[in-house]
Amino acid sequence: MRSNIHPRATPLLVGALLLAAGATAQAAPNTFNTALPVARDQYIWREQFVWRERSDDGPMERDVSVQALGSVLGYGVTPKFALFGMVPYFFNRELQVTTPTGRIARDTDGIGDISLFGRYTLYQNDFTGGTFRVSPLFGLTAPTGDDNDRDRFGELPRPLQAGDGAWDAFGGVVATYQTLQYQLDAQVLYRENGHHDGFARGDVTRFDTSLQYRIWPRSLQGVSGTPGFVYALLESNLVHRERDVTGRDADAHSGGTQWLLAPGLQYVTRSWIVEGTLQLPVAEDPNGDAIDDDYIVRVGFRRNF
Amino acid sequence: MLTKLPLLLAALMLSVAALAADNQYVLGVDGLACPFCAYGIEKRLHKVDGVADIQVDVADSVVRVTLREGKALTEEQARQAVEEAGFTLRSFSGAEGESGRQSAQ
Repeated sequence: MRSNIHPRATPLLVGALLLAAGATAQAAPNTFNTALPVARDQYIWREQFVWRERSDDGPMERDVSVQALGSVLGYGVTPKFALFGMVPYFFNRELQVTTPTGRIARDTDGIGDISLFGRYTLYQNDFTGGTFRVSPLFGLTAPTGDDNDRDRFGELPRPLQAGDGAWDAFGGVVATYQTLQYQLDAQVLYRENGHHDGFARGDVTRFDTSLQYRIWPRSLQGVSGTPGFVYALLESNLVHRERDVTGRDADAHSGGTQWLLAPGLQYVTRSWIVEGTLQLPVAEDPNGDAIDDDYIVRVGFRRNF
Repeated sequence: MLTKLPLLLAALMLSVAALAADNQYVLGVDGLACPFCAYGIEKRLHKVDGVADIQVDVADSVVRVTLREGKALTEEQARQAVEEAGFTLRSFSGAEGESGRQSAQ
């Protein structure tokens, strides 16, 4: 790492930044994907604003703040195969740290690495008032973000850059069980991060689950048409990230395992979804020194057309 | 005159409803369980020639399709539209209940 601040601080940012970008790459539920269909020739447009804060109580008093917007466009190529493109835009990625010369901040902004992924419905069991589907997905992340931004201290640390400069690949399986009353989603996803300029972010394995329970209308008895539904949701994200590699050496102070829970609300109509969640860390097992998550706020909407 | 106006309007609405019902079809759709999913079915059915109106009753998992006068919806057209939306056609019938149009998958 070419940090002018602290050799340990910057690798620990990677998890935060990857999560902020990676989660918005998914189309649904709020923190990951779903197996529900996209009709042939149908588009789904999604915007999700992510605000993530991390901090620690160490002598350097590190604070990491990320504000990003994930823009996703999905398209139904066939009833079983959908393509999704995701463009992250970082309003701010900032590290504040106390140094012997005082408190300093380093930050960047701009478009991040764009992802494109496809999802295929491998198994589909429809029944009256519900469905169960299993869909593998596979995608690539292109190095479209700036990976050599500089400030008055020199080149920014690699994890702070808007892009990582490498092609990444990811794949997994998502399953959805949906009824009129509730929906369950589960996903296993693996992301292999590429090398660029002697650096590679640690590969990521994640296991996500989501429960969405309809709280309004309380009963559908006698309800006609397509009323809007309000769902209470609770999502769980178990994320394991391997150590970063600089040159040929793994960074002992990077990677680790993290479990997050995210309560939230969704208002779903036939054309729109408005949603928000608050992700909170339940347990963290970082490698070496690590900065802890404080919270992650996700708010956004989806639009059918 | 003013007292008769509501009666006239009600009669007119009933007449329109009766006319519409002559060309209305009811599709049972399996897999449909949320409002957001209903949009895809509407979008595919709107591509069928002659479709004038679509009402999705998500709670009953049925879709009511009204066609313009002189137009008809075949079961194959309905099945194709529903499957292109990613769902399964469970049943198909005309609103007048012609048994020949009934089907179950």
